Amino acid sequence: MAAPLTLLLIVAVTIRAVLFRSSLAELISARVEVVSPLNAWKRVVEGLALLDLGVSPYSGDVFHETPLMIYLFHFTVDYAEIVFIVSAYFFRKQKYALESDRYSADCLELLRSPKEMFYIPLKVAMFYLLNPFTILSCVAKSTCGLNNAIIALFIFCTLKGSALLSGILLALATYQSIYPLTLFAPALLFFLQRLYIPVNLRRSSFWFFTLQYAFMYVGSLVVITGLSFFLLGSWDFIPSVYGFIFSVPDLTPNIGLFWYFFAEMFEHFRLFFSCVFQFNVFFYTIPLSIKLKEHPVFLIFMQIAIISIFKSYPTVGDVALYMAFLPAWSHLYRFLRNIFLVSCVLLACSALFPVLWHLWIYAGSANSNFYYAITLLFNFGQVKVFTTTWLTNCEWKNRWRNKVSLFINLY
Amino acid sequence: MELREFINFPGLTFPGLKITLLKPDIFFKQWYSWYSKIHSSHLESPLEVFHNHVYRLGIPDSHIVLMLADDMACNYRNPKPATVFSHKNMELNVYGDDVEVDYRGYEVTVENFLRVLTGRLPPSTPRSKRLLSDDRSNILIYLTGHGGNGFLKFQDSEEISNMELADAFEQMWQKRRYNELLFIIDTCQGASMYERFYSPNLMALASSQVGEDSLSHQPDLGIGVHLMDKYTFYLLEFLEEVHPASQANMNDLFKVCPQSQCVSTPGHRTDLFQRDPGSVLITDFFGSVRKVEITKDTINLTSPVEPPIKRSGSSDIQIESLTYVDQLPVAEIIHQKPKQKDWHPPDGFILGLWTLILLVFFQTYGIKHLKHIF
Repeated sequence: MAAPLTLLLIVAVTIRAVLFRSSLAELISARVEVVSPLNAWKRVVEGLALLDLGVSPYSGDVFHETPLMIYLFHFTVDYAEIVFIVSAYFFRKQKYALESDRYSADCLELLRSPKEMFYIPLKVAMFYLLNPFTILSCVAKSTCGLNNAIIALFIFCTLKGSALLSGILLALATYQSIYPLTLFAPALLFFLQRLYIPVNLRRSSFWFFTLQYAFMYVGSLVVITGLSFFLLGSWDFIPSVYGFIFSVPDLTPNIGLFWYFFAEMFEHFRLFFSCVFQFNVFFYTIPLSIKLKEHPVFLIFMQIAIISIFKSYPTVGDVALYMAFLPAWSHLYRFLRNIFLVSCVLLACSALFPVLWHLWIYAGSANSNFYYAITLLFNFGQVKVFTTTWLTNCEWKNRWRNKVSLFINLY
Repeated sequence: MELREFINFPGLTFPGLKITLLKPDIFFKQWYSWYSKIHSSHLESPLEVFHNHVYRLGIPDSHIVLMLADDMACNYRNPKPATVFSHKNMELNVYGDDVEVDYRGYEVTVENFLRVLTGRLPPSTPRSKRLLSDDRSNILIYLTGHGGNGFLKFQDSEEISNMELADAFEQMWQKRRYNELLFIIDTCQGASMYERFYSPNLMALASSQVGEDSLSHQPDLGIGVHLMDKYTFYLLEFLEEVHPASQANMNDLFKVCPQSQCVSTPGHRTDLFQRDPGSVLITDFFGSVRKVEITKDTINLTSPVEPPIKRSGSSDIQIESLTYVDQLPVAEIIHQKPKQKDWHPPDGFILGLWTLILLVFFQTYGIKHLKHIF
């Protein structure tokens, strides 16, 4: 297991190193699909330069990263590439834990055999490290890679069962961009399942553990926010980072759904629509957690997919995060419908993004509608992935129940 | 050394040099005054009258750079073409036969103005469009038009800001393009334009303070435009009394047009100026007065200072010996920029962060690992 993983790692690092040194690096760093105002490397450098000049990096609309990022980067700004490669490495650690969550009953054809399951971690690592989206994101030095690493570490710690670490890492992920807040519910469900506490609102043990976990999470969030305050000595990072994420002032086109709407909307309705759009991200948590309370890991996957589709400034790095998890549900492959359609849509859209951008901005023969159409189609493809996976999961569960009941009936 | 050789000395670039014989072993160069004025978008033309005064006091047209954005004289609304009057009595045509407009119409842009000031013009620019000043020239700059807090409007489409102007003057100082500079501005909130100056030897006058408007003086009821601004009108009245030998100094100029006459409060700035304004004559800027002293004694002309090393390049760059540079305490006047230091996070933060990280580490992995580490 170690050997193919090491080989994979060497290949991934080589590809990234080669691309870093080539002239494509600047080209990729400027692409709007890969970097967003929240995580562009250019803005990090700009923020650090402002800090060197004695000005708060949050003055003006340049820098929207959290202060801990400033701390992380201020001494590694020349070695940034290494940091990003290392963060990609962290990702692979977490899928080891996924194995332990599989059902080990030996029902035919609905499950993968243990031998195949053995290779799932490698596949997940491969899907992430060799995904062109992650390679692009890493070469562009977008801090999305670091966000993904923190979420991956969070999943790892959750699956390992360490509530404290998981709470701290979730707080860190929430501190970076607010949306991982929705991952609190699946993590809680996972721990409850692990500790055999039934999810019953009337039981005190449920509340006891929930409060414990919530306390760890909120406490670490408060500590991290306080530390950021002490780093720069002011609270400007809150409107600059969180206010920026929620109010979406920057309407540079990206692969998300916000920019087009907000560009053509009147100021009067802005508040209403930003509430509606942001609500969309958080809304699916409760229904999905009720439905999927026995499958918290799948719920995590669903949540990450929802976040990356509906967040205010998505990039391809976010898309790659949930795509990397797809091999973990390889038992669903047999039932996946419309694979060809969805994969063609995603591939075609990824290819068309730069083409239509060029036509719009440089050639002037297209306009923003063209680009937004492709954005919509891309998100449609992602939603299709999401719903297809969901439906096949339901179908798989039904079949599983039928088979089990049949099995029980036989005996 | 003979007098002829003296005059033909290669280090000198000024024609028609007159020698003052106060100290025979040192050369005194003539103080040629340069007069540059701008008329950006204002409808009337006070500067033609200025032109007359300045002309009268001795500055030749070759030393005047005149920029007019609007062509009043040949405008189709002008009932008397090729004439511009400053008073509604129409007694004096200020657009006479000898007015030379160097920059007209669309050539009056912020870029051209700054290029004239700093001298960064393409080599093909004719001499009449250049400011051929050097480190012994006194320059008078007069601007009028529409302005606001920190800017002056050019051509209805662009603005020059006070910071740009201050930087242009600093460039001029660095390149030794002026000895002393008088800056007069007649716009609304004109005092904001000289707030940012930081180069030495600048004196500035403005017609109104920040927050005040400069008002115009007289309308012409025939065309329906105003002829002149109040401040300029009273300034010109003051200049009527100035003749080449007058001893009127800058303090008198500051008193022109008090608030009772112009509704706005004129302002001035002299803190960057080396000399006391009371000792500065009006004719230092508005005229070109040659100091001549006649003597009947013979003078022995000894050899002057060493010639400056001629480098290939423009003659604008003056290489002076060290003693010349130290004459002016430049470092005391020009502010120094603080040296850039890198930012470091506060120590308390680093301590707190790493303590927390260590705590979490030991909490999860237990204390027993400590003995494996140490």
